[in-house]
Amino acid sequence: MTAGSETILVVEDEVPMRRFLCAALAGHGFKVIEASTAATAERAATEVRPAAILLDLGLPDGDGLDLLRRLREWSQVPVIVLSARDREDDKVLALDAGADDYLTKPFGAGELLARIRVALRHARGHVANEPLLAVGPIQLDLARHEITVEGREVHLTPIEFKLLALLARNAGKVITHRQLLHDVWGPQSTHQTHYLRVHMAALRRKIETDPTRPRWLTTEAGAGYRLLDE
Amino acid sequence: MSAASGNQRERERVRGRVRAYVVAVAGVGLASLLGWLADGYVTAVDQAMLYLPIILLAALGGRAPSLVAAALSVAAYDFFFVPPRLTFAVSDQRSLITFAVMFVVGAATGALVVRLRTAEAASRERERRTAALLAFTRDAAGASDAAEIVRAAREHIERTLGVTAIVTIPDERPLQRAVSVEIAGPALSAEPLAFIDAVARQAGVAIGRIQLAETAREAALRAKAEELRATLLSSVSHDLRTPLAAITGMATALRDRRPADREALDTIVEEAQRLGRILTNLLSITKVESGAAPRREWVPLEELVGSARVRLAAELADHPIEVDVPPSALANVDPILAEQLLLNLLENAAKHTPAGTPIAIRVERAADRAILEVADRGQGVPAGAADRVFEKFYRGTTAAPGVGLGLAVCRAIATAHHGTIEAKPRDGGGARFIATFPDETALPTLDDDALAAEAR
Repeated sequence: MTAGSETILVVEDEVPMRRFLCAALAGHGFKVIEASTAATAERAATEVRPAAILLDLGLPDGDGLDLLRRLREWSQVPVIVLSARDREDDKVLALDAGADDYLTKPFGAGELLARIRVALRHARGHVANEPLLAVGPIQLDLARHEITVEGREVHLTPIEFKLLALLARNAGKVITHRQLLHDVWGPQSTHQTHYLRVHMAALRRKIETDPTRPRWLTTEAGAGYRLLDE
Repeated sequence: MSAASGNQRERERVRGRVRAYVVAVAGVGLASLLGWLADGYVTAVDQAMLYLPIILLAALGGRAPSLVAAALSVAAYDFFFVPPRLTFAVSDQRSLITFAVMFVVGAATGALVVRLRTAEAASRERERRTAALLAFTRDAAGASDAAEIVRAAREHIERTLGVTAIVTIPDERPLQRAVSVEIAGPALSAEPLAFIDAVARQAGVAIGRIQLAETAREAALRAKAEELRATLLSSVSHDLRTPLAAITGMATALRDRRPADREALDTIVEEAQRLGRILTNLLSITKVESGAAPRREWVPLEELVGSARVRLAAELADHPIEVDVPPSALANVDPILAEQLLLNLLENAAKHTPAGTPIAIRVERAADRAILEVADRGQGVPAGAADRVFEKFYRGTTAAPGVGLGLAVCRAIATAHHGTIEAKPRDGGGARFIATFPDETALPTLDDDALAAEAR
């Protein structure tokens, strides 16, 4: 990937963690602004207008989630939240509150950069309104409702098509159960996760070579699904 | 003491009756004397009137004294004042009317007084019981345990009714039902029985209240312990995870810049990740064993298997994986916990079997439960250790690294789902680990037409 000169705001109170994030980002050509509290982060977000924000959910002076909600009142800047493994609920709350993605600690520099690249690409709006999408071996023609995987035509039910289209438009990003249910079944169906899981399993069988070891359509435990794009 | 007060009341009643007879006899004598002294100044009718107050006074003693006083009065009047005097003979038939009036007045007054006094006594008794019931209710409200309430109920019944009572709490007592009361001695009439019933009900209500208070107190204690545990866990988690995350992160960042040191940095990353998994297991076992109910959903087992294989891709790279998963098999499990169980079983198999040996994942859907099995071709479970492998910190005989928590977490997760997990030798060599997850709710049916309609 091309090393951008975009500015990334890193909101993290732990110094060693912040040092790692800055080192990894600076090493790939990003400008980095650091903030260790929600208050300084909010100020930096207004003054610097970063291209993306890395936000630790466990900040000392206030919930990272609150900061995210306030931020979303005026800004669509991509936000990637950093969460601990035993705080699954916080992660889902953050995603449903408008976070673009998450990273569960511990994570490596590779994952971090991959998430940032995806978030920046989506923020630039290159994907959203294309009628033809290509994700890995999967080609979607949204206008004609046609799907091919490695050139072979695949027949999907209307629900499976909607699910795949939503994931493909957001390729690389996690989409929560709630978002999928809301977009495909409607706002009254956001608790019927077993419908979603069964249809996802069916979809996976149609697009994966080995559905018990998915290469593209992965499950994010406790959160949702992700269609990988690399 | 209560029996003594009963005797005292009886004695008072006898004394009152005797007094009434004395009043009757002496009064009739006095009235006769007064009439005799006033003879010549008053008429015979006036002399008869002198006996009326005596009859009324005697009536205060009850029906019998009033009748006795009336009869004596009639006799004395006849003897002293009705001609021929000093005989019981009657010359003028009209005097018989006076006799009849005197007697009827006596009898009627006596009856009225008796009825009045009975009513008065009954109302006083009722008042006493009401006061006693109030006093008991107050005592019961202030009581701090059931035994104190039972004691208060017994004392109030004995003191109020003058009986000996045995009060017990029935064994199978639904909340807020009455206690049971047995009375020694003669059968009681309706009103004391009603009093006992009221006390028993009040006692039941009071005991129910105390039991509720105890339950609430216990729940509050448990909640506090739970809160403490959660606080401890979250601080341990934070304190250990943050440095681990920084180590992992830094090592991966360095790896990109120093290809020459790649092997060393890989080791740092892998070991830090292993430490992270141990920490995850430690946190999981505490969390699961704390009794928090799993958040069950209907999950395709294929999804769980896929997710676990992707997460463990590095560890499983040296083992061919044989998968037997019916595409439609669902399990009623907490997806995060069930995935953790599968991860631990797979990691355990990868760690304890030589590279190149296959690992089999098999899933089966029975009528009321899902079965998940991981089988390997390693040395198998040591003889006699089939249960011990699931104990915390059991390390077996192999040289494989670990702290012996992975399988303990598996058992905690299966148990939390009211399921089981067991280790068995595998035909042809190796070990089988079989977990069952019973369904908590009915298997959902997916109405595809309805879903399609919804989606439209």
